[in-house]
Amino acid sequence: MATEQTLRSFGCEQNLLSRPDGSANFTQGDTTVLAAVYGPGEVKMSEEIIDKATLRVIFKPKVGLPGCAEKFQERVLRNTCESVVLATLHPRSAINIILQIIQDSGSLLSCCVNAACVALMDAAVPMKCLVSAVTCALTEEGQIVLDPDSKQEKESSAVLTFAFDSRENNVITCSTKGCYTPEQYQESLSACREASKNISSFFRQAVEKRMSKELKVKT
Amino acid sequence: MAADFKTAQPVEYYRRFLKEDVRPDGRELGEIRHTTLNIGSITTAEGSALVKLGNTTVICGIKAELCNPTAEEPKKGFVVPNVDLPPLCSPRFRPGPPSEQAQVVSQLMADIIQNSGVVALEDLCIVEGKLCWVLYCDMLCLDYDGNVVDTCVISLLAALKNVLLPEVRVSEETGDPVTDMEKKLPLNIRKCPVATTFGVFDDHYLFTDPTNEEECLATGVLTIVTTEDNKICCMHKPGGTPLSESRLQDCINRALTRAEEVRKLIHETINSVER
Amino acid sequence: MPGDSRRIAGPQDSRAPHWFGRQQETHQEAGGTRQDGRGDHDLRPVYLHTGVVSQATGSAYMEMGQTKVIAAVYGPREISRREEFTMKGRLCCELKFATFSCRQRRQHIQDNQERDGSLIVLQALEPAVCLDKFPKSQVDVYITVLQDDGSALAAAITCAALGLADAGVMMYDVVVGCSVRQCGEDQWLDPSVREEFRPEVESAGDHGMVTVGLLPSLNQVSALVLDGHLQQQTAVQAVKTCISGCQGIYPILKDCLVSSTRRNVPSLEQKSGQTSTDGQNGQT
Repeated sequence: MATEQTLRSFGCEQNLLSRPDGSANFTQGDTTVLAAVYGPGEVKMSEEIIDKATLRVIFKPKVGLPGCAEKFQERVLRNTCESVVLATLHPRSAINIILQIIQDSGSLLSCCVNAACVALMDAAVPMKCLVSAVTCALTEEGQIVLDPDSKQEKESSAVLTFAFDSRENNVITCSTKGCYTPEQYQESLSACREASKNISSFFRQAVEKRMSKELKVKT
Repeated sequence: MAADFKTAQPVEYYRRFLKEDVRPDGRELGEIRHTTLNIGSITTAEGSALVKLGNTTVICGIKAELCNPTAEEPKKGFVVPNVDLPPLCSPRFRPGPPSEQAQVVSQLMADIIQNSGVVALEDLCIVEGKLCWVLYCDMLCLDYDGNVVDTCVISLLAALKNVLLPEVRVSEETGDPVTDMEKKLPLNIRKCPVATTFGVFDDHYLFTDPTNEEECLATGVLTIVTTEDNKICCMHKPGGTPLSESRLQDCINRALTRAEEVRKLIHETINSVER
Repeated sequence: MPGDSRRIAGPQDSRAPHWFGRQQETHQEAGGTRQDGRGDHDLRPVYLHTGVVSQATGSAYMEMGQTKVIAAVYGPREISRREEFTMKGRLCCELKFATFSCRQRRQHIQDNQERDGSLIVLQALEPAVCLDKFPKSQVDVYITVLQDDGSALAAAITCAALGLADAGVMMYDVVVGCSVRQCGEDQWLDPSVREEFRPEVESAGDHGMVTVGLLPSLNQVSALVLDGHLQQQTAVQAVKTCISGCQGIYPILKDCLVSSTRRNVPSLEQKSGQTSTDGQNGQT
């Protein structure tokens, strides 16, 4: 089985909004998501959790009102972030993550996860590890296409998105569309896992770059 | 004494059971609660099924109505699944619009229907571009004791298999549809998706079919939906404990075995019901 | 359902298949025998069961012929909205018809019939519950009609009262509901949905439906709903028929409570000879 082993060109820009505590713009090919993080801050009485911070994700589609599908994505993203953020360090507070879709041309969910991760780093929210997500599509012939665009997604028989932790590269989140065999699943998983390492190291570079810039300003 | 300990230290209480490879309700880690199925009990619905998984109860009623297909997809009908988690089923839910949980499960059901192709939407078309069926599949939870997703999928599949649609012809003079309520036809069910949910406790113990308490304590959940040709049509792991490849493979194998059992149960129940 | 983003939306507009049906629906004709072969003043078989919802404080399930109703009781618990201090507890009722419960599909959002029904059930139960026993708190009663084959409101009242008894909420008496359909000269107890049908053009004679909620051991009426038009004497007669119907259901309800208590308290099993029904109801 052949694999198209390349991700589309990706990049990010941090700290571009002045009001939130942290913000980031993540681009994968033409797919762009803008993430803003507020917090830890005050929490609504009804949502207060006594031993940890309440994490909230607001998923804003490009047009229209959010419906069930958006709520579903919100839940997936929130749980993903919850499993890496050290929420117990900020009991009875709220961390809000707002994800604004700028453009969706495939692999949207993975782009959202990556954007949220960079924004959380930018806001200096304490985290256990980083999370990096990769989407892949299975074509009718069983070929794996990494980081597909919308056209490839539409033509494929299945689309799988995985999010990995940066320490042991285990699967934090998995969300799939379409039908596939367990063997195809394992192959896609390993392909995505390899690709996720690129993204993790990119996160590191991005932070280094930003930090060195800030240090220069200060000295 | 045990009850006080459970209230004060729920996690520790649970941990002590798991150390002995048993759960507080007496099940082993991989054991699934007893599943019972009742098909066709609601006669006002075109198809219905009541499923009990331990205490968790879901009733699915399917109402079929006639409508116009969309201009973009003139050959396709509609399947509209909605999961209702009313305040009746658990003290966690309050009256009002659907909770986030209900919306998430509804969307998951819609995804499962679409991904598995349990019903081909083309089968619901009567006259291209003019007339088609819409199946409103409403799943109503009557008792929420964990693992509603698995229960909803079983109830949905069983109810779909129970659906009888009246024959529809289009009258030649007026062009209006005419239904023959006496002559009823079953629906063509293409695939049989069955879901299996796993919970992870303390980032280590893996158990199947979590109860409400277990869901609250779990550090992660994983749902795998498989069809009878041993394909996976939905793998839903929303965050939680990171799992390795080998553990995921273990879950897939267990899900495949479980799905076989459930399909057998549905098959037997349908055969035992005289229609 | 346009505008409801919290549910999965279907097509804009759809119609039930029986709209286009060729054959006319059969409705109960006046003067004939009842379709299920019952006598005019006969009840349908009643099935009652308690403790069906594991998460609730108390719950009950009821079947009357094909009519199926489930009720769950939560509480007494904290009042959800902050209000002024009251010495009396609060009772809240919510009646809902499942979307697939009737021939015509119902909507998810509460409609007028459900709102009225909730209020009637609340008014029927309130006189029976010792509200002063739980100040500052509320008891919620949620009732869902799974299938409506007539007399759904009456079944909802009975089922809710049984749920309250199962929850151990203090009551002066249980409440039993029963309906009567008056159609000209005919008076049908516990009508089915076909008998409940009202033609568009009504004849000049008596036409109406009476539902009564009765506290059977006190022999007091806690709710009385009458719609349609009945002559005074017929109305009185109809209420009397309802009451006799309620008295017919009461022993079944009592039996159900006795056996559920036996199930829950196994130690009673040994001395079952001495247990009185009053003890079982606890609060009657």
